[in-house]
Amino acid sequence: MTVKDNEWSWPSSLLNAWTQATADFWATASQEWSAGFPGLSGNFGPAAGDAQSRTQEQWQAALKMWQTISSSFSSPEATEALLKGMQTWPEISSKLIRTIWEGYSHLHQHWLRKLGRLGETTEAYKFENLDQEIFKTWQELYQKEIQPYLQAPQLGLTRFYQERANDAVDKFHLYQAAVGEFIHMLHLPMEKSVRVVYEKIEELAKEGQLSEDFKEYYNIWIKVLEGHYMTLFKSPDYLQCLAQTLNAANEFKMARHRLLIDMLQPLPLPTNREMDELYKELYLLKKRVRELEQNTGEKG
Amino acid sequence: MSPSKIPVDAILSKLAEDVEKSQDRMMKSQDVLLGPLDTAIATTPYDVVYEEDRVKLKHYRPAKEIQIKTPLLMVYALINRETMLDLQPGRSVVQNFLNEGIDLYMIDWGFPTRKDRYLTIDDHVSGYINNIVDFIRERHGAPKINLMGICMGGSFSVMYSSLFPDKVKNLITTVTPTNFDTDKGLLHVWMKTINADRMIDTYGNMPGDLLNMGFLLLNPARLMIDKYIGFFENMDNRQFVENFIRMEKWIFDSPDVPGETFRQFVNDCYKKNLLIHSKMQLDGKIIDLKKIQMPLMNIYGRYDHLVPPEACELLTKKVGTKDTEDICLDTGHIGIYVSSKTQKELTPRIFRWLKERDQAETPNKIKTAKRTSKRTAKAAEKSKSAPTGKKRTEGVKKRATAGG
Repeated sequence: MTVKDNEWSWPSSLLNAWTQATADFWATASQEWSAGFPGLSGNFGPAAGDAQSRTQEQWQAALKMWQTISSSFSSPEATEALLKGMQTWPEISSKLIRTIWEGYSHLHQHWLRKLGRLGETTEAYKFENLDQEIFKTWQELYQKEIQPYLQAPQLGLTRFYQERANDAVDKFHLYQAAVGEFIHMLHLPMEKSVRVVYEKIEELAKEGQLSEDFKEYYNIWIKVLEGHYMTLFKSPDYLQCLAQTLNAANEFKMARHRLLIDMLQPLPLPTNREMDELYKELYLLKKRVRELEQNTGEKG
Repeated sequence: MSPSKIPVDAILSKLAEDVEKSQDRMMKSQDVLLGPLDTAIATTPYDVVYEEDRVKLKHYRPAKEIQIKTPLLMVYALINRETMLDLQPGRSVVQNFLNEGIDLYMIDWGFPTRKDRYLTIDDHVSGYINNIVDFIRERHGAPKINLMGICMGGSFSVMYSSLFPDKVKNLITTVTPTNFDTDKGLLHVWMKTINADRMIDTYGNMPGDLLNMGFLLLNPARLMIDKYIGFFENMDNRQFVENFIRMEKWIFDSPDVPGETFRQFVNDCYKKNLLIHSKMQLDGKIIDLKKIQMPLMNIYGRYDHLVPPEACELLTKKVGTKDTEDICLDTGHIGIYVSSKTQKELTPRIFRWLKERDQAETPNKIKTAKRTSKRTAKAAEKSKSAPTGKKRTEGVKKRATAGG
């Protein structure tokens, strides 16, 4: 017998013993229940009501079912199958944790690289090929590892409600990510303008033309900042980010709206969708009335 | 290499001085900010003489004898409010027109609600504006009126003049975008990238706050930082604070824009640039600029970052009339109406231009379509019976306060 076999022999026997004990418990419980309630054996007296007999029948059926299940678990084959399933669970969970950890590690490495680059020269008035990798990395991780769980098909009576709830969570995350990227982009001109002002002050210092008035430095900075924003706002990266943020905001708002409609259903309140339908009908009716009145007026 | 000569002592000393001054200013500003402030906007007296749905027509009470017989209708944009034209006494386009002797009307578009989301540009142009023009024509017994449009309201006025040229005597467009194919203004660049369809499907109407956020982002350095630094530096100056608050009131008093109107304006104008090419359609009717045969005065700002000169100046070359005039003023989009310097130039020029063209018209009986709206007739009746009654005056004051 190998070490491995030894390792797994004792939980198998333990599980066998436990399932056997469970099966015995349900068998005893069933017998005692029947003894306590003679009607359970099927000999219902005339005084016993229909409702009581149905309840007892259901109890008996349930007990028998548990007894059967417990017995089937106690067979060596079932124990083996159960054990195999239990063995794979740590693999699944460890894979999940490993993937998330790898993604986080990648993200962390990226942050470190970015921090290392903070001291490097940032080129003024240049907003092409912006370093948005940090957001892309997180997005990829999210889309690969988390989003599929939210988009997994739901089952049963409440499947549509659950899907809408998941969709709202998903869209909220995408919206947050887009807003984060957008705000980061709006911050870039601040970063760059400070550097430009620093360089200008250096030049002025070399020329011995430094001003004593702090307001003058502020004026230089605000002018540089304005210029940076103007350059950023025309860059393709910004335009793409703006469109993406607006789209994400729209998607989230719609998803939230659908979820709220579900929540409002039990309340006696009309939804926007219902009101919009009404407004449209009203609009078309008013238009039609106006046309008819105009025609009547002209003819008259 | 010689070491940098940074006068650290002098800078720190000046900084300390500034901090002291700021503290002093803060103390004084308490008296200003916590005391009574006159920040009311749109205070020039007017009467509401016509109402239809959310839309109202203001008729300003003349300040002197009318010098130009043909009444002037001002059409403001659907973005922000017409109160900007009457921001404060002494800096009011409305007052200046009244002082020149112009009989002045202005449309107040009101605040669209969700039920207005289906209103199209055509509903505004062929509906509200046309009904209002008919009302004024009937009221004055005049076959035509003078029309002046502001920004998007100017674009609407151009569309109206093309569809109903017989009702417009003179057309004045101010900071009016008609050529949208330019990348000089950020707004033109951004509008091409946004998905208007999705926005409107999501929001119903285009939220005013969202538009305002967009306008602030056009120049965050000035509009979100420098402006408030300026306020901080002058917060002990009562007059400055009052003017500043008036402007803040106007800027952030932004109605939503009816959804279908916004969708059409972005798609047909900003994205497809149909208007300037006479290809735009309103409810199946082509907006042919060649049908604009009345005199046209086209005014715009050289430093306008929202509607740059490139977006305005093509219009006079595309219309049917030869009597056109382009005027480029050294100002921006808002400065054209609120700058004291520009105001000295703007209204007198418009007045002179209108006066030259104000030939005596025989007050024919106007053939207008029978008023379709019961509200319209009711409002008209009201205005005839008590145009300047006490009750109305009180109402006007109340509105002015609420509007501010």
